[in-house]
Amino acid sequence: SSADSLVSRFCPEKTDLKDYALPNASWCPDMLNLYQEFLEKTKTDGWVKLPSFKSNRDHIQGLKLPFGLAVASDKSDWRIFTRCIQEEGQGYEYVIFFHPSKKKSICLFQPGPYLEGPPGFAHGGSLAALMDETFSKTAYLAGEGLFTVSLNIRFKNLIPVGSVAILNVDVEKIEDQKLYMSCIAQSRDQQTVYAKSSGVFLQLQLEEESSQ
Amino acid sequence: AWDLCTIPLDALGTGVVAWPSARSYSSEVVHMDHSLPNPSWSKDMRLIFDQFMKKSEDGSWKRLPSYKFTSSKRLEEVKIFFPDAKPVKEESLSQARLFPRSLEEGLGFEYAMFHNHVENRTACILQGGPYLQGIPGFLHGGAIATMIDSTVGMCAVLTGGAVMTANLNINFRRPIPLCSVVVINSQLDKIEGRKLFVSCNVQSVDEKTLYSEATSLFVKLDPKKSSP
Repeated sequence: SSADSLVSRFCPEKTDLKDYALPNASWCPDMLNLYQEFLEKTKTDGWVKLPSFKSNRDHIQGLKLPFGLAVASDKSDWRIFTRCIQEEGQGYEYVIFFHPSKKKSICLFQPGPYLEGPPGFAHGGSLAALMDETFSKTAYLAGEGLFTVSLNIRFKNLIPVGSVAILNVDVEKIEDQKLYMSCIAQSRDQQTVYAKSSGVFLQLQLEEESSQ
Repeated sequence: AWDLCTIPLDALGTGVVAWPSARSYSSEVVHMDHSLPNPSWSKDMRLIFDQFMKKSEDGSWKRLPSYKFTSSKRLEEVKIFFPDAKPVKEESLSQARLFPRSLEEGLGFEYAMFHNHVENRTACILQGGPYLQGIPGFLHGGAIATMIDSTVGMCAVLTGGAVMTANLNINFRRPIPLCSVVVINSQLDKIEGRKLFVSCNVQSVDEKTLYSEATSLFVKLDPKKSSP
Protein backbone atom coordinates (compact mmCIF):
# COMPACT_ATOMS: atom_id res chain seq x y z
CA SER A 1 0.00 0.00 0.00
CA SER A 2 1.09 3.58 -0.49
CA ALA A 3 1.24 4.15 3.28
CA ASP A 4 3.63 1.23 3.66
CA SER A 5 5.82 2.43 0.81
CA LEU A 6 5.95 5.93 2.33
CA VAL A 7 7.09 4.42 5.63
CA SER A 8 9.62 2.04 4.14
CA ARG A 9 11.10 4.83 2.01
CA PHE A 10 11.31 7.00 5.10
CA CYS A 11 12.97 4.31 7.21
CA PRO A 12 15.79 2.95 5.05
CA GLU A 13 17.09 -0.39 6.29
CA LYS A 14 20.66 0.41 5.39
CA THR A 15 22.06 3.88 5.55
CA ASP A 16 25.28 5.65 6.42
CA LEU A 17 23.33 8.58 7.75
CA LYS A 18 23.52 9.25 11.46
CA ASP A 19 20.22 8.59 13.25
CA TYR A 20 19.80 11.16 16.01
CA ALA A 21 16.78 9.40 17.48
CA LEU A 22 18.82 6.88 19.43
CA PRO A 23 19.69 6.79 23.14
CA ASN A 24 22.80 8.61 24.27
CA ALA A 25 24.49 9.41 27.56
CA SER A 26 22.34 12.50 28.13
CA TRP A 27 19.04 10.59 28.24
CA CYS A 28 17.54 10.51 31.74
CA PRO A 29 16.22 7.20 33.18
CA ASP A 30 12.59 8.08 32.30
CA MET A 31 13.57 8.72 28.71
CA LEU A 32 15.48 5.44 28.48
CA ASN A 33 12.69 3.41 30.07
CA LEU A 34 10.02 4.87 27.83
CA TYR A 35 12.21 4.27 24.80
CA GLN A 36 12.59 0.58 25.74
CA GLU A 37 8.83 0.29 26.28
CA PHE A 38 8.12 1.59 22.80
CA LEU A 39 10.91 -0.37 21.21
CA GLU A 40 9.15 -3.50 22.49
CA LYS A 41 5.97 -2.29 20.83
CA THR A 42 7.73 -2.04 17.49
CA LYS A 43 8.21 -5.80 17.64
CA THR A 44 4.68 -6.76 18.54
CA ASP A 45 2.15 -3.97 18.09
CA GLY A 46 2.90 -2.49 14.68
CA TRP A 47 4.72 0.64 15.87
CA VAL A 48 7.66 1.95 13.85
CA LYS A 49 10.57 3.91 15.30
CA LEU A 50 11.26 6.80 12.95
CA PRO A 51 14.87 7.63 12.16
CA SER A 52 15.86 11.26 12.52
CA PHE A 53 18.46 12.57 10.11
CA LYS A 54 20.36 15.84 9.98
CA SER A 55 18.13 17.28 7.27
CA ASN A 56 14.70 16.56 5.81
CA ARG A 57 16.50 16.28 2.48
CA ASP A 58 17.94 13.00 3.79
CA HIS A 59 14.44 11.72 4.55
CA ILE A 60 13.22 12.22 0.99
CA GLN A 61 16.09 10.79 -1.00
CA GLY A 62 15.09 10.20 -4.61
CA LEU A 63 12.18 12.62 -4.26
CA LYS A 64 11.96 16.33 -4.80
CA LEU A 65 9.62 19.20 -4.15
CA PRO A 66 7.22 19.93 -6.99
CA PHE A 67 7.87 22.57 -9.62
CA GLY A 68 8.29 26.07 -8.26
CA LEU A 69 9.26 25.02 -4.77
CA ALA A 70 12.49 23.16 -5.30
CA VAL A 71 15.37 25.28 -4.16
CA ALA A 72 18.21 25.54 -6.66
CA SER A 73 21.04 25.21 -4.20
CA ASP A 74 20.25 23.23 -1.09
CA LYS A 75 23.52 23.39 0.75
CA SER A 76 24.69 20.28 2.49
CA ASP A 77 25.39 22.06 5.76
CA TRP A 78 21.75 23.00 6.24
CA ARG A 79 20.15 21.27 9.22
CA ILE A 80 16.64 20.55 10.36
CA PHE A 81 15.64 22.94 13.14
CA THR A 82 14.96 20.27 15.74
CA ARG A 83 18.48 18.89 15.29
CA CYS A 84 20.17 22.29 15.21
CA ILE A 85 21.93 21.89 18.54
CA GLN A 86 24.50 19.19 18.12
CA GLU A 87 25.88 18.82 21.61
CA GLU A 88 24.32 15.76 23.22
CA GLY A 89 21.69 16.62 25.79
CA GLN A 90 21.88 20.37 25.36
CA GLY A 91 19.00 20.90 22.93
CA TYR A 92 16.27 18.63 21.60
CA GLU A 93 16.56 15.02 22.62
CA TYR A 94 13.58 13.28 21.04
CA VAL A 95 12.38 10.19 19.26
CA ILE A 96 9.13 9.61 17.36
CA PHE A 97 7.27 6.32 17.12
CA PHE A 98 4.58 6.08 14.42
CA HIS A 99 1.73 3.61 13.98
CA PRO A 100 0.79 3.40 10.26
CA SER A 101 -2.66 1.86 10.56
CA LYS A 102 -3.78 3.79 13.65
CA LYS A 103 -2.31 7.02 12.18
CA LYS A 104 -0.87 7.95 15.55
CA SER A 105 2.49 9.14 16.76
CA ILE A 106 4.18 9.27 20.11
CA CYS A 107 7.13 11.59 20.62
CA LEU A 108 9.39 11.31 23.66
CA PHE A 109 10.93 14.74 24.32
CA GLN A 110 13.69 15.70 26.75
CA PRO A 111 14.52 19.44 26.48
CA GLY A 112 18.09 20.48 27.32
CA PRO A 113 19.43 23.70 28.85
CA TYR A 114 19.91 25.44 25.49
CA LEU A 115 16.14 25.41 25.03
CA GLU A 116 15.49 27.60 28.04
CA GLY A 117 12.84 30.23 28.24
CA PRO A 118 12.04 30.99 31.89
CA PRO A 119 15.06 29.84 33.94
CA GLY A 120 14.94 26.07 34.48
CA PHE A 121 12.11 25.51 32.02
CA ALA A 122 11.85 24.90 28.29
CA HIS A 123 10.96 27.85 26.06
CA GLY A 124 7.35 27.65 24.91
CA GLY A 125 8.63 27.95 21.37
CA SER A 126 10.68 24.79 21.73
CA LEU A 127 7.58 22.75 22.55
CA ALA A 128 5.71 24.46 19.72
CA ALA A 129 8.54 23.48 17.41
CA LEU A 130 8.51 19.86 18.47
CA MET A 131 4.73 19.69 18.16
CA ASP A 132 5.05 21.08 14.63
CA GLU A 133 7.80 18.57 13.87
CA THR A 134 5.80 15.59 15.20
CA PHE A 135 2.72 16.79 13.29
CA SER A 136 4.92 17.15 10.22
CA LYS A 137 6.30 13.60 10.25
CA THR A 138 2.87 12.16 11.11
CA ALA A 139 1.19 14.15 8.34
CA TYR A 140 3.77 13.05 5.80
CA LEU A 141 3.56 9.35 6.61
CA ALA A 142 -0.19 9.29 7.14
CA GLY A 143 -1.04 11.19 3.98
CA GLU A 144 1.81 13.06 2.29
CA GLY A 145 1.14 16.20 4.30
CA LEU A 146 3.92 18.67 3.62
CA PHE A 147 3.21 22.25 4.72
CA THR A 148 1.96 23.52 8.07
CA VAL A 149 -1.25 25.44 7.44
CA SER A 150 -2.04 26.24 11.05
CA LEU A 151 -0.95 25.53 14.62
CA ASN A 152 -3.08 26.22 17.64
CA ILE A 153 -1.41 25.62 20.99
CA ARG A 154 -2.87 25.95 24.46
CA PHE A 155 -0.04 25.98 27.02
CA LYS A 156 -0.87 24.72 30.50
CA ASN A 157 2.39 24.09 32.34
CA LEU A 158 6.09 24.56 31.70
CA ILE A 159 8.36 21.59 31.08
CA PRO A 160 11.35 21.49 33.45
CA VAL A 161 14.65 21.29 31.57
CA GLY A 162 15.99 17.73 31.65
CA SER A 163 12.65 16.03 32.28
CA VAL A 164 10.60 14.01 29.78
CA ALA A 165 7.41 15.09 28.05
CA ILE A 166 5.33 12.65 25.99
CA LEU A 167 3.55 14.03 22.93
CA ASN A 168 0.57 12.00 21.71
CA VAL A 169 -0.48 12.88 18.17
CA ASP A 170 -3.61 11.64 16.40
CA VAL A 171 -4.84 12.24 12.87
CA GLU A 172 -8.45 13.31 13.37
CA LYS A 173 -9.44 13.51 9.73
CA ILE A 174 -8.19 13.99 6.19
CA GLU A 175 -10.37 16.29 4.11
CA ASP A 176 -9.93 18.64 1.13
CA GLN A 177 -6.24 17.74 0.82
CA LYS A 178 -5.63 18.68 4.43
CA LEU A 179 -4.71 16.58 7.43
CA TYR A 180 -6.18 17.60 10.76
CA MET A 181 -4.25 16.46 13.82
CA SER A 182 -4.40 16.86 17.57
CA CYS A 183 -1.66 16.61 20.17
CA ILE A 184 -1.45 16.42 23.93
CA ALA A 185 1.89 16.81 25.69
CA GLN A 186 2.08 15.48 29.24
CA SER A 187 4.38 14.12 31.91
CA ARG A 188 5.11 10.38 32.07
CA ASP A 189 2.67 9.82 34.92
CA GLN A 190 0.06 11.87 33.02
CA GLN A 191 -0.44 14.00 36.13
CA THR A 192 0.77 17.15 34.42
CA VAL A 193 -0.52 18.34 31.06
CA TYR A 194 2.03 20.62 29.45
CA ALA A 195 0.03 21.69 26.42
CA LYS A 196 -2.67 20.69 23.96
CA SER A 197 -2.59 21.62 20.34
CA SER A 198 -4.11 21.07 16.94
CA GLY A 199 -2.34 21.25 13.61
CA VAL A 200 -3.48 21.33 10.01
CA PHE A 201 -1.16 20.29 7.18
CA LEU A 202 -1.57 20.61 3.42
CA GLN A 203 -1.04 17.53 1.29
CA LEU A 204 1.41 17.84 -1.54
CA GLN A 205 2.91 14.94 -3.40
CA LEU A 206 6.64 14.89 -3.85
CA GLU A 207 7.92 14.02 -7.33
CA GLU A 208 10.46 11.41 -8.28
CA GLU A 209 13.80 12.93 -9.08
CA SER A 210 14.41 12.24 -12.76
CA SER A 211 17.33 9.91 -13.31
CA GLN A 212 20.40 11.61 -14.73
CA ALA B 1 9.13 36.02 26.42
CA TRP B 2 12.19 36.10 28.71
CA ASP B 3 14.54 38.00 26.46
CA LEU B 4 14.63 41.24 28.39
CA CYS B 5 16.72 41.75 31.48
CA THR B 6 15.14 44.96 32.60
CA ILE B 7 11.61 44.18 33.74
CA PRO B 8 10.83 46.77 36.39
CA LEU B 9 10.66 45.18 39.84
CA ASP B 10 7.32 46.72 40.65
CA ALA B 11 5.80 44.86 37.69
CA LEU B 12 6.69 41.61 39.45
CA GLY B 13 4.56 42.48 42.41
CA THR B 14 7.16 42.19 45.13
CA GLY B 15 9.92 44.50 46.20
CA VAL B 16 12.28 41.96 47.69
CA VAL B 17 14.86 40.15 45.60
CA ALA B 18 17.97 38.37 46.79
CA TRP B 19 21.18 38.87 44.82
CA PRO B 20 22.58 35.43 44.00
CA SER B 21 26.19 34.35 43.59
CA ALA B 22 27.75 35.08 40.20
CA ARG B 23 27.81 32.43 37.50
CA SER B 24 31.07 31.07 36.26
CA TYR B 25 31.39 32.60 32.77
CA SER B 26 33.14 35.79 31.74
CA SER B 27 31.15 38.98 32.02
CA GLU B 28 31.95 39.91 28.41
CA VAL B 29 30.05 36.87 27.15
CA VAL B 30 27.19 37.46 29.54
CA HIS B 31 26.71 41.08 28.65
CA MET B 32 27.16 40.94 24.87
CA ASP B 33 24.16 42.46 23.18
CA HIS B 34 23.21 40.23 20.24
CA SER B 35 20.61 42.56 18.74
CA LEU B 36 23.27 44.37 16.75
CA PRO B 37 24.63 43.76 13.23
CA ASN B 38 27.30 41.09 12.88
CA PRO B 39 29.14 39.64 9.86
CA SER B 40 26.44 37.01 9.27
CA TRP B 41 23.78 39.64 8.62
CA SER B 42 22.79 39.92 4.95
CA LYS B 43 22.40 43.21 3.12
CA ASP B 44 18.61 43.04 3.51
CA MET B 45 18.96 42.48 7.25
CA ARG B 46 21.25 45.48 7.66
CA LEU B 47 18.94 47.67 5.56
CA ILE B 48 15.85 46.90 7.62
CA PHE B 49 17.86 47.30 10.84
CA ASP B 50 18.95 50.78 9.69
CA GLN B 51 15.34 51.64 8.80
CA PHE B 52 14.23 50.79 12.33
CA MET B 53 17.16 52.64 13.88
CA LYS B 54 16.09 55.68 11.90
CA LYS B 55 12.58 55.28 13.27
CA SER B 56 14.08 55.19 16.77
CA GLU B 57 15.62 58.62 16.38
CA ASP B 58 12.49 60.47 17.43
CA GLY B 59 12.11 58.35 20.55
CA SER B 60 8.91 56.54 19.56
CA TRP B 61 10.69 53.27 18.80
CA LYS B 62 13.40 51.77 20.95
CA ARG B 63 15.84 48.95 20.12
CA LEU B 64 15.75 46.20 22.74
CA PRO B 65 19.03 44.67 23.87
CA SER B 66 19.19 40.88 23.82
CA TYR B 67 21.46 38.54 25.77
CA LYS B 68 22.43 34.91 25.38
CA PHE B 69 22.14 34.10 29.06
CA THR B 70 19.46 34.99 31.53
CA SER B 71 21.18 37.10 34.17
CA SER B 72 21.39 35.65 37.66
CA LYS B 73 19.43 38.61 38.95
CA ARG B 74 16.51 37.66 36.68
CA LEU B 75 16.76 34.09 37.88
CA GLU B 76 16.03 35.05 41.45
CA GLU B 77 13.24 37.38 40.42
CA VAL B 78 11.58 34.63 38.42
CA LYS B 79 11.92 31.96 41.14
CA ILE B 80 9.20 33.76 43.11
CA PHE B 81 6.68 32.62 40.53
CA PHE B 82 7.67 28.99 40.53
CA PRO B 83 8.15 28.10 44.20
CA ASP B 84 7.37 24.44 43.54
CA ALA B 85 10.02 24.11 40.86
CA LYS B 86 12.65 21.52 41.72
CA PRO B 87 16.11 23.00 41.26
CA VAL B 88 17.82 21.78 38.10
CA LYS B 89 21.31 20.31 38.56
CA GLU B 90 23.79 23.15 38.99
CA GLU B 91 26.01 22.04 36.05
CA SER B 92 23.19 22.12 33.55
CA LEU B 93 21.83 25.42 34.88
CA SER B 94 25.13 27.18 34.27
CA GLN B 95 25.08 25.91 30.68
CA ALA B 96 21.59 27.23 30.08
CA ARG B 97 21.02 29.61 27.22
CA LEU B 98 18.04 31.55 26.08
CA PHE B 99 16.72 29.32 23.30
CA PRO B 100 16.65 31.72 20.35
CA ARG B 101 20.25 32.73 21.19
CA SER B 102 21.62 29.23 21.61
CA LEU B 103 23.26 28.81 18.21
CA GLU B 104 26.50 30.34 16.93
CA GLU B 105 26.54 33.45 14.77
CA GLY B 106 24.68 33.16 11.49
CA LEU B 107 23.51 29.59 11.94
CA GLY B 108 20.21 30.06 13.72
CA PHE B 109 18.10 33.03 14.66
CA GLU B 110 19.68 36.36 13.79
CA TYR B 111 17.23 38.94 15.08
CA ALA B 112 16.69 42.29 16.71
CA MET B 113 13.56 43.62 18.40
CA PHE B 114 12.22 47.13 18.57
CA HIS B 115 9.42 48.39 20.78
CA ASN B 116 7.06 51.34 20.45
CA HIS B 117 5.74 52.05 23.93
CA VAL B 118 3.17 54.60 22.74
CA GLU B 119 1.44 52.20 20.36
CA ASN B 120 2.33 49.03 22.32
CA ARG B 121 3.92 47.39 19.32
CA THR B 122 6.95 45.16 19.16
CA ALA B 123 8.66 44.54 15.82
CA CYS B 124 11.22 41.81 15.26
CA ILE B 125 13.49 41.68 12.23
CA LEU B 126 14.54 38.09 11.61
CA GLN B 127 17.06 36.33 9.40
CA GLY B 128 16.57 32.57 9.75
CA GLY B 129 19.82 30.68 9.24
CA PRO B 130 20.74 27.29 7.74
CA TYR B 131 20.16 25.34 10.96
CA LEU B 132 16.48 26.26 11.08
CA GLN B 133 15.38 24.23 8.10
CA GLY B 134 12.07 22.40 7.72
CA ILE B 135 11.12 21.51 4.17
CA PRO B 136 14.42 21.67 2.25
CA GLY B 137 15.13 25.32 1.44
CA PHE B 138 12.54 26.74 3.83
CA LEU B 139 12.28 27.82 7.44
CA HIS B 140 10.83 25.21 9.84
CA GLY B 141 7.29 26.02 11.03
CA GLY B 142 8.52 25.50 14.57
CA ALA B 143 11.26 28.08 14.11
CA ILE B 144 8.70 30.64 12.99
CA ALA B 145 6.53 29.65 15.94
CA THR B 146 9.46 30.20 18.31
CA MET B 147 10.12 33.72 17.03
CA ILE B 148 6.42 34.60 16.93
CA ASP B 149 6.16 33.43 20.55
CA SER B 150 9.24 35.48 21.48
CA THR B 151 7.97 38.61 19.74
CA VAL B 152 4.38 38.59 21.00
CA GLY B 153 5.79 37.55 24.37
CA MET B 154 8.06 40.56 24.46
CA CYS B 155 5.11 42.81 23.65
CA ALA B 156 3.16 41.22 26.51
CA VAL B 157 6.05 41.41 28.99
CA LEU B 158 6.74 45.06 28.31
CA THR B 159 3.13 45.91 29.03
CA GLY B 160 2.18 43.40 31.68
CA GLY B 161 5.39 42.42 33.45
CA ALA B 162 5.95 38.73 34.14
CA VAL B 163 3.61 36.76 31.89
CA MET B 164 3.27 33.27 30.46
CA THR B 165 2.02 32.17 27.04
CA ALA B 166 -1.43 30.63 27.40
CA ASN B 167 -2.48 30.34 23.75
CA LEU B 168 -0.67 30.66 20.44
CA ASN B 169 -2.61 30.43 17.20
CA ILE B 170 -0.63 30.65 13.95
CA ASN B 171 -1.85 30.60 10.36
CA PHE B 172 0.90 29.87 7.86
CA ARG B 173 0.18 31.39 4.46
CA ARG B 174 3.46 30.90 2.61
CA PRO B 175 6.67 29.08 3.45
CA ILE B 176 9.60 31.39 4.27
CA PRO B 177 12.78 30.80 2.24
CA LEU B 178 15.72 29.87 4.43
CA CYS B 179 18.24 32.70 4.99
CA SER B 180 15.78 35.40 3.90
CA VAL B 181 14.77 38.36 6.07
CA VAL B 182 11.26 38.87 7.47
CA VAL B 183 9.62 41.34 9.83
CA ILE B 184 7.32 40.18 12.65
CA ASN B 185 4.97 43.01 13.59
CA SER B 186 3.11 42.50 16.84
CA GLN B 187 0.70 44.68 18.75
CA LEU B 188 -1.17 44.55 22.02
CA ASP B 189 -4.87 44.33 21.13
CA LYS B 190 -6.43 44.45 24.57
CA ILE B 191 -6.04 43.72 28.28
CA GLU B 192 -8.76 42.03 30.32
CA GLY B 193 -7.77 41.68 33.95
CA ARG B 194 -4.76 39.34 33.93
CA LYS B 195 -5.15 38.47 30.23
CA LEU B 196 -3.21 40.17 27.47
CA PHE B 197 -4.21 39.66 23.83
CA VAL B 198 -1.43 40.16 21.30
CA SER B 199 -1.58 39.62 17.54
CA CYS B 200 1.10 39.75 14.86
CA ASN B 201 1.89 39.17 11.21
CA VAL B 202 5.06 38.05 9.45
CA GLN B 203 5.89 39.89 6.24
CA SER B 204 8.67 40.38 3.78
CA VAL B 205 10.78 43.51 4.22
CA ASP B 206 8.95 45.28 1.34
CA GLU B 207 5.62 44.31 2.98
CA LYS B 208 4.45 42.77 -0.32
CA THR B 209 4.41 39.19 0.92
CA LEU B 210 2.42 37.99 3.91
CA TYR B 211 3.94 34.81 5.32
CA SER B 212 1.97 34.19 8.52
CA GLU B 213 -0.50 35.67 10.96
CA ALA B 214 -0.90 34.86 14.62
CA THR B 215 -2.97 35.67 17.67
CA SER B 216 -1.93 34.94 21.23
CA LEU B 217 -3.08 35.11 24.79
CA PHE B 218 -0.73 35.78 27.70
CA VAL B 219 -1.56 35.58 31.38
CA LYS B 220 0.07 37.64 34.10
CA LEU B 221 1.84 35.47 36.63
CA ASP B 222 0.68 35.70 40.22
CA PRO B 223 3.53 35.53 42.76
CA LYS B 224 1.20 34.03 45.36
CA LYS B 225 0.25 30.96 43.36
CA SER B 226 2.67 28.42 41.91
CA SER B 227 1.05 28.34 38.45
CA PRO B 228 -0.81 31.02 36.49
